[in-house]
Amino acid sequence: MKILKIPKGDLDLFVSVLPAFGELYAPVRRGSGYAFDRPVTWSDVELTYSRTILPPRKLFLPPREETFRFDPQAGFRDRLDEAATKRVLFGVHAYDIYGLNILDRVFAQGKFPDPYYLARRQNTAIIGIDSEPDDRHFARSMNADFVDSGFDLFLSDIGDAFLVLVGTSRGDDMAVMSGCLLDEPTEADFAEYKRRSSARRAAYRTHVELGDLPEILEMEYHSQVWEELGARCLSCGSCSMVCPTCYCFDVSDEVGLGTRAGSRVRSWDSCLFKSHALVAGGENFRHSRASRIKFRFYHKQRGFVAEYGRPSCVGCGRCAAACPAGIDITTVIRMIRGQGDAHPDRPAPVGA
Amino acid sequence: MTNTKHVLIIDDDADFVRAIGDLFASAGYEVASASNGREGLDLAKKLLPDLILLDVMMTERTEGFFTLQQIRAVPELAATPVIVASSIYTDQPLFKVNPDAGWLPASLFLPKPVDPARLIREAARLIAAAASPGATHEGDNAR
Repeated sequence: MKILKIPKGDLDLFVSVLPAFGELYAPVRRGSGYAFDRPVTWSDVELTYSRTILPPRKLFLPPREETFRFDPQAGFRDRLDEAATKRVLFGVHAYDIYGLNILDRVFAQGKFPDPYYLARRQNTAIIGIDSEPDDRHFARSMNADFVDSGFDLFLSDIGDAFLVLVGTSRGDDMAVMSGCLLDEPTEADFAEYKRRSSARRAAYRTHVELGDLPEILEMEYHSQVWEELGARCLSCGSCSMVCPTCYCFDVSDEVGLGTRAGSRVRSWDSCLFKSHALVAGGENFRHSRASRIKFRFYHKQRGFVAEYGRPSCVGCGRCAAACPAGIDITTVIRMIRGQGDAHPDRPAPVGA
Repeated sequence: MTNTKHVLIIDDDADFVRAIGDLFASAGYEVASASNGREGLDLAKKLLPDLILLDVMMTERTEGFFTLQQIRAVPELAATPVIVASSIYTDQPLFKVNPDAGWLPASLFLPKPVDPARLIREAARLIAAAASPGATHEGDNAR
């Protein structure tokens, strides 16, 4: 892996040439939070943001997308053109890149790769940036505080400059194009990187124990904890909407009045919604709120581990920040382990 | 229906705007101006000018680059000829990335100080090309 460095003062010039690789998206302020959006000026770009309200998933699996149109005369026409736009996603934290790597396993690497997701992934350059954890981040516990793949470039703060890890040939093209702004790092730069890397690990204040969690979940399938959580959960789906790795979607055919032409649309769904497990005949496999929130935890922390070898959680803390009922995944895991009470503190949701 | 062409100048240098604005006005153009990128973008969306003359170093030294990205993101302005006029290459000697290397979605880059005769000539050429059927502008950096 090639490693370069760029002075912090020249990052604006570097980012200015990135449009050669696509439309620029970066973390910008949105109300009391942050969002990946198009910056109007360099000062709009927030390099030290905590977390965005929605993860980068929204750029790869849009909340609502038309997948194809159909017409009795014209036949089918896919909408892959919508996914062909070249983009550069700048300033993505390691855990969110990890989230995309998890989505890759589902949408890009299985027996049936999703062409829409795949096209967006291939057409989007990712430039990561390191971050300082706050009280809600527990990415260290989820082994998602550092990534070694899934990015074209990754910037690590070393004081007056960023170390630039080149992850792909596209990242190398970026480095070559803006080569006048980049430099070779020194031994002192590497020493500073190592010092800051250790400090960042030590800065995590929230931890959960992942070891044997799937087994403990197996033991606690009938735990009263799920009923208590079900009594608090509002089934609003906020946790899954803000999750970097939730990927449930619904599919519907929208047909115009007086015509047989229309389009197939897929839109985000949530296992917290009552309709999620509703099937023909009116049967619902997860009728109660308790069964739905339990399903979510079991899918992410147990089922995904069995299928893909790791939980589908990156420790970003968004679900806890977004939950209006104050349900915090780290507290739930402690409760399941018998290490916490059923009524933990309920911090106000972010943006409230 | 008037055939007057509209030019929008986005530049924080009031003297430059006045001088170049007068130059375009004397050549028969209707001229509007904005002193920063955000204001210029808003005005461009509202006026849909026939040509935009854009500075780079305004409140921020890369402001024009970002403004140009936003201009190109507006469907009605995606093909509008934009001339970027800047002294960034002389003011920021470290910045050596060629404006013709495909990263700057401008119709033309002109270093400041701008040659007035050439500016008027290029503006007329770009506006005429934009009005021609099948004309494309992005990446047209011919000098």
